[in-house]
Amino acid sequence: MNKLRLIIAREYMSIVGRKSFIIMTLLFPFLMIALGSIPVVMAYLNDKGDQTQQIAVIDETGHYAAALPNDNKFNFVAIKGDTVTNAREFYDKANGSISAVIIIPRDVDSTGVVNIYSEGTIIPALESTIKSALTDTIESAHLAAMGIPNLQQIVEKAHVNIDIHAIKWSDTGDEEESSTGIAIFLGIALSVIIFWFVFFSGTMIMNNVVEEKTNRIVEVVVSSCRPFHLMMGKIIGVGLSVLTQMAIWIVLLGIAGTIGGSLLGMTGAVPGADMMGAGATVTPEVESEFSSFMRQALAINYTPIIINFLLYFVEGYLLYCAIFAALGSAVDQASDTSQLLTPVMLLMFFAFYAAMGCAENPDGPMAFWCSIIPFTSPTVMMVRLPFDVPLWQIILSHVLLIITALGIVWLAARIYRRGILSYGKKASFKDLFNWLK
Amino acid sequence: MAYLDIKNVVKRYEGHTALAGVSMEVPEGCIYGLLGPNGAGKSTLIRIINRIIAADEGTVTLNGKKMTDNDITHIGYLPEERGLYKKMKVGDQIVYLGRLKGLTKADAVASMHWWLDRFILKEWENKKVEELSKGMQQKVQFIGTVIHRPPLLIFDEPFSGFDPVNAEQLKVEILALRDQGSTILFSTHNMASVEEVCQQITLLNHAQVVLTGSVEEVKQQHKKNIIAVQTPDKIEPNAAMFTLLPPDPVKKADTRIKLAAGVQVRDAISWLNEHYHLTGFTEVLPSMNEIFIETVKSKNTTEQ
Repeated sequence: MNKLRLIIAREYMSIVGRKSFIIMTLLFPFLMIALGSIPVVMAYLNDKGDQTQQIAVIDETGHYAAALPNDNKFNFVAIKGDTVTNAREFYDKANGSISAVIIIPRDVDSTGVVNIYSEGTIIPALESTIKSALTDTIESAHLAAMGIPNLQQIVEKAHVNIDIHAIKWSDTGDEEESSTGIAIFLGIALSVIIFWFVFFSGTMIMNNVVEEKTNRIVEVVVSSCRPFHLMMGKIIGVGLSVLTQMAIWIVLLGIAGTIGGSLLGMTGAVPGADMMGAGATVTPEVESEFSSFMRQALAINYTPIIINFLLYFVEGYLLYCAIFAALGSAVDQASDTSQLLTPVMLLMFFAFYAAMGCAENPDGPMAFWCSIIPFTSPTVMMVRLPFDVPLWQIILSHVLLIITALGIVWLAARIYRRGILSYGKKASFKDLFNWLK
Repeated sequence: MAYLDIKNVVKRYEGHTALAGVSMEVPEGCIYGLLGPNGAGKSTLIRIINRIIAADEGTVTLNGKKMTDNDITHIGYLPEERGLYKKMKVGDQIVYLGRLKGLTKADAVASMHWWLDRFILKEWENKKVEELSKGMQQKVQFIGTVIHRPPLLIFDEPFSGFDPVNAEQLKVEILALRDQGSTILFSTHNMASVEEVCQQITLLNHAQVVLTGSVEEVKQQHKKNIIAVQTPDKIEPNAAMFTLLPPDPVKKADTRIKLAAGVQVRDAISWLNEHYHLTGFTEVLPSMNEIFIETVKSKNTTEQ
C-alpha cells in the first residue's frame, strides 16, 4: 500500500506540477468568462461604435413612414418620390451621406412587401427594425379598417401564452411544484460532466502509459512494484489531478460569479439572488418568474442526486480508465492506439448520446435498460435521477456497475502487465485476448 | 550454498519456449556473467529473478530462501533499455526509485546526495532529466539502481552508451560494490568486459545452459593446445610433436605451433629449447569471444 501511495503521489505531482497544467487551470475560467462576454461586448461596440445611419424612406402610401422609429443607429428621412429610378438618382446624388433607400409600395397592405435598396450590405439590425415597426403598424391598421370597436383589445385578450406548472404529488400527498426543464438540464449537465471527465482522464492515462513504455522506465518501476500497483496508481493519480483542476475551477468561477453578480447587482440590470428584496429596479414580472424558477429548482431533492453522482462518477471512471490503461500498454507509440481505441470510443459516445436521448423520455424502456447496463449506466442514470427512479433500479445499476468495473480492472491488469513489457509488434485484439489467459 | 540459486526454470510463451529448464548458481560476492546471443532467454531469466514475470516451473532461491515479492527490495536492476521520467528532476527521480525499493524518504535523500557527489552531478540535482547529456542520464540511472545498496545487483549491458572514461568509472564502481559484499549478475555481449570483471559465467543458447563455470575453467576446457613461441630461428614442423600454424595477424613475430594429441606443453618446450634458441613462450588460451562464438555456432549446427 505504501508503494501505491508513492506512485499516486508521483503521478499526481507530475501532472499538477506541470507549467501547462497551472496555466490552463488558472486561465480556463477567464477564457470561459471572456468567451461568454464576447456577444455582450460585440453588442456594446455595435451600439457605440457606429455612426447613426441616414436612411431615406420613399413612402408611396404616405402614412407608414412615421412608424419607423429613429434611434441612435438609424435616422429615417421621408422623401418625396414615386419610382425606383427616382430612388436610384436620389441615392447617387446623396453621394454616400445616406446608406439605404426604403420603398414602401402602395400595395404594402395586401402584399406585405417592402424593398430596401443599397450599394452596401444591408445589416440585419436594419431589416429587423423595419420589419417589427411596420408589422405592428400595418396589423393595427388592418384591425382598425375592420371597423369593429375595441377590436385591438379583443385580439390582445385572445392572445395567450401557455405557461406550464408541473405539480408533483409526493407520497405524503403534498403538492410540490417541479420543473421538468430544470430536471432535464440538471441531469444532462451531470451526465456531460461524467462523460468529459472520464474521456479526458482516460486519454491522459493512456498517453501516460504509452509514454512510460516508450521511455522504458516501466521495466525499472515494475522491478520495484507490482504492475497492478503502477496501473492503479496512475488511474488514481490522474483522477485526483483532474479533480483538483475541477475544484479550482469551481472556486474561481464562484469568486468570479460573486464579483460579477454584485457588480451587475449595483446597476440593477440582472435580478441576482441577493437582489430579491430590492424590487424597485426589478419588474414584478421578472421577479415572479425568477422566484418561481428558484422555487422549482429548490424543490428537487439534491442529496440523492449528489451521492449517486459521486458513486457513478467513481465507478464509471474506474471502468473506462482501466480499459484506457490496458490499451495504452498494448502499443509502442501513441499514434498506434487509434485502431484499438475505436470500439471503446464508440461505446463511450453511445453512452453519451443514449443519455441525451433518454432525457426526452426518462421513464421509457431505452432509458431503463441503458441505466441498468454497466457501460451506459453512469451517464444515462444521471439523466434519469432527477425524475425519481425507483430505489431497486438504482441499487441494481450500482451493483452491476461495481461488479463490472472491478472485473474490467482485473482483466485490464492482466493485459497491462503483459503489454508494458512487449515491444516491437503492434498488438491486435487477438493478442490482448491471449494475454488475458 | 549459492547466494542466488536458480533451479530448472521453465518459461513458455505462445508458440515458443523462452527458458527450457535453466539452472544457475551464483555464489555470494562474485561478479557472474550471464552470456548468450540475442533471443537466448537472458532477459526472460533476468525478469524472472526480478519477479517482473513468473516462471512456469522451477525455483529461484535467494540467500537460502525461496524468493517472494518482498525480496525485490534486495535487488537493484539496470535494464538494457534505459529509461527515466524525462520531465522529472534528477534528485526527485533518484529518491522516487529509492523509495519504491523501500527506503525511507530521509534515507533516500541522504543516499541520493552521497551518490550525486560521487559522480560529480551535484549541480544537476534540480535539473530535469531531459536537460542532461546521454552519459549523465546513464549515471543517474546507475545511481537509481544502487541507491538502496542492494545485496544483489543485476546489470544488463551496463557499459553500453558509456564513453571509455565513464565506462572505466562505472567499472570501478561495480568492483567497489562487489568488494563491499554485493553479488553482481552481469549480462552482456561484450566479451572483453567479461574477461575483465567476471569470475564465473553461464552461457545460454536457445533457452538452455550450454556452458557454465569459472572463466579460468572455461578457458582451460576450450584451449586448443597452441603455444606462441618467440625465437629468432625458423622452426621446422615436427609431425610427431606439433604442427605449424599460420602466424597470428596481430602478433606476427610469434611462431604458433599446435601440439599433437597427447603431447605435454613441457615436453614440447624442452624439445624446442634443445633445438632452437627460445627467447620466450606463452600458452595461447582462447578468448571468451572465441569460446562464445565457437559454442554458439557448434550448438546451432548440431541442431540443424
